[in-house]
Amino acid sequence: MLNMDQIKKVFRTDLVETYALRDFSLNVQEGEFVAVTGPSGSGKTTFLNIAGLLETFEAGTYLLDGEDVNSLSDRQRSALRNAKIGFIFQSFNLIPDLNIFDNVDVPLRYRGFNGRQRKERIMNALERVGLGARFKHMPSQLSGGQQQRAAIARALAGEPRFLLADEPTGNLDSLMARQVMELLEEINEGGTTIVMVTHDPDLARRAQRNIQIVDGQVTDFQLGPIPPAPENDRQSATPYA
Amino acid sequence: MWLYFFKLAWISVRQTPIMSTLMIIAVGIGIAACLVTSTIYMSLSKNPLQHKNNVLYALQLDAWDPQEAYDGPNDMPTQVTYLDGIAVLESDIPTHTVLMYKSGFAVLPENKSIRPFQSLARMTTSDFFPLFDVPFIFGSTWSEEADKIPEQVVVLSKQLNDRLFNGENSVGKQINLDGRLYKILGVTADWHPRPKVHDLNNGAYNRRDAMYVPMSVGIELEMYSRGNTNAWERENVVTFTDTLQSEHIWLQAWVQLDTKKQMEDFSSYIENYIRQQKKLGRFQRPLKYHLNTPSEWLSKNNVVRQDNRILLWLSVIFLLVCLINTIALLLAKFLKKAPSVGVRRALGASKKAIFSQHLYETLLVGISGGALGLTLSWFGLWGIRYLQPGLKDAAIMHWPTFVMALCFSLLASLFCGLLPAWKISHTQPARYLKIQ
Ligand SMILES: Nc1ncnc2c1ncn2[C@@H]1O[C@H](COP(=O)(O)OP(=O)(O)OP(=O)(O)O)[C@@H](O)[C@H]1O
Ligand SMILES: [Mg+2]
Repeated sequence: MLNMDQIKKVFRTDLVETYALRDFSLNVQEGEFVAVTGPSGSGKTTFLNIAGLLETFEAGTYLLDGEDVNSLSDRQRSALRNAKIGFIFQSFNLIPDLNIFDNVDVPLRYRGFNGRQRKERIMNALERVGLGARFKHMPSQLSGGQQQRAAIARALAGEPRFLLADEPTGNLDSLMARQVMELLEEINEGGTTIVMVTHDPDLARRAQRNIQIVDGQVTDFQLGPIPPAPENDRQSATPYA
Repeated sequence: MWLYFFKLAWISVRQTPIMSTLMIIAVGIGIAACLVTSTIYMSLSKNPLQHKNNVLYALQLDAWDPQEAYDGPNDMPTQVTYLDGIAVLESDIPTHTVLMYKSGFAVLPENKSIRPFQSLARMTTSDFFPLFDVPFIFGSTWSEEADKIPEQVVVLSKQLNDRLFNGENSVGKQINLDGRLYKILGVTADWHPRPKVHDLNNGAYNRRDAMYVPMSVGIELEMYSRGNTNAWERENVVTFTDTLQSEHIWLQAWVQLDTKKQMEDFSSYIENYIRQQKKLGRFQRPLKYHLNTPSEWLSKNNVVRQDNRILLWLSVIFLLVCLINTIALLLAKFLKKAPSVGVRRALGASKKAIFSQHLYETLLVGISGGALGLTLSWFGLWGIRYLQPGLKDAAIMHWPTFVMALCFSLLASLFCGLLPAWKISHTQPARYLKIQ
């Protein structure tokens, strides 16, 4: 599903150059649940943003479903992101001016669904995260856990095959974190590929596969650096299933 | 999608009510200022005789005081004396020649239910109608003989004919003016050039002409001018005949010269006339005359005053300042919303979609501002009509101005929105996703 090879990402300011990712290579298979850990500033968010086509990179190749994303226009990247990728953020990032219904509506609008299709998808997604009755609430009227579930509903509404979550439980207490984790596991069982950045080793352990990013490079959590060959990659994934 | 963008725009405008109101007021006031000044400017600078601008000429002759010019050092009198007017009339070079002055009658209607009333009359020559292209609904003008040998005939305006004869064809009927019966020869259509270029003496937006009577009749009946009369010499003017022989200026002279040859011939005719008059002791100033095209005539009579022009520019600058302020406010507002733009991008919005969304918001502000501007300018023009009766006919907004204003406010808001919308659609989404 996702093949990154020798990705390099540099942030340049007037004074410094930060190598956020260097020779970053990773393969993720369809249906996997990958937990990403690593020290602060190691490049986890940068990796997710590149994976989600929100950010470009200086060198290397990235194939999403076999398609080289580097050659795509902004419009094509946006359409691809809209159709295939769902984002979940640590700080939920619901749009404060819109109620829950309209928040979940956002990705569907850019997809061009008609009104009936959108309504059906929105209500389904909200039912799925247990917020069916609160679609008229504004984000500020919901608890943190509810907000994150609404954000997950928003990510799910377009039925993406690939879910990117950046510390989705970081702002939640442990009970709510567990609920969100259970929800993500359920989604993954439905066939959606998930890559989740987390600082919580307990949550990471529940994923099929753990990788660690240190200094902008991938280190496998227990097996050491991931071998470059894809067949080894698949083997390394199985022990955690 | 545009409905969705308008919905988002509406939500966003409502989210910051004070800021949005301020922007709408700024755009509205700017547009209103421009609309009011341009409406007045445009109606003032309109030339109703544009279609004959290269063949009609208002004649100026410098028969003024040898010691002092008429007004400024280069100015000539704006009217002519009776002697000079008659001399112009005698030339058969012009296609048409008009001599005229303003006088008036007491109208004594035959229909006893209408009370007698005073009415102004234009005392003129038969060429008045073809020269100024005055259309007729009934009948026509008087014969050229009536310009020489007085005939008691009259041409009524549509308004007067409506009042006296209910708009029926009155040609052939008689009308009692000052106790004498005049035969009605024609009724003009609704003709009211604004500005009133054919007679700017008493204001460019003065009342329309009520009726036309041969000037020969006015002279015979010794009817004085009810318009301006100017004089410079200490003369002993007692009788009407004295007036006719005097240096008083009180007649307006117009000629139509269709060809270059006519122009040259008429110019030498006037020059010869002046030289000949100099020998008789008149025209003691340097030989000078001028044939003014209607547009020259309008500007010479200060129909568009310089300050109107300056006012127009000031209002345009004012509008620009309002728009630039609006740009700054929009930019600040949009950048403040950058985090939700980041989210939209993450959820699949393209740069173009973000750009459009924000342009719709400025369009909403612009249209509201435009609507406010139109309302304000309506009140503004009403106020001007109320305070400045002289501009009563100029301070009217016409449909083209109205439509233009709407288009303009759309363009202005697009102009305001372009930079902020471009800026926000090109911010790096990832940067703002972290902040929230
Ligand atoms: N927009 C940017 N401009 C400059 N440097 C940046 C930018 N974004 C990230 N960086 C740098 O890139 C490196 C990787 O950042 P990144 O956000 O990916 O870390 P992270 O692993 O997500 O950290 P955390 O766990 O704290 O979220 C950091 O050194 C950071 O300072
Ligand atoms: Mg991070």
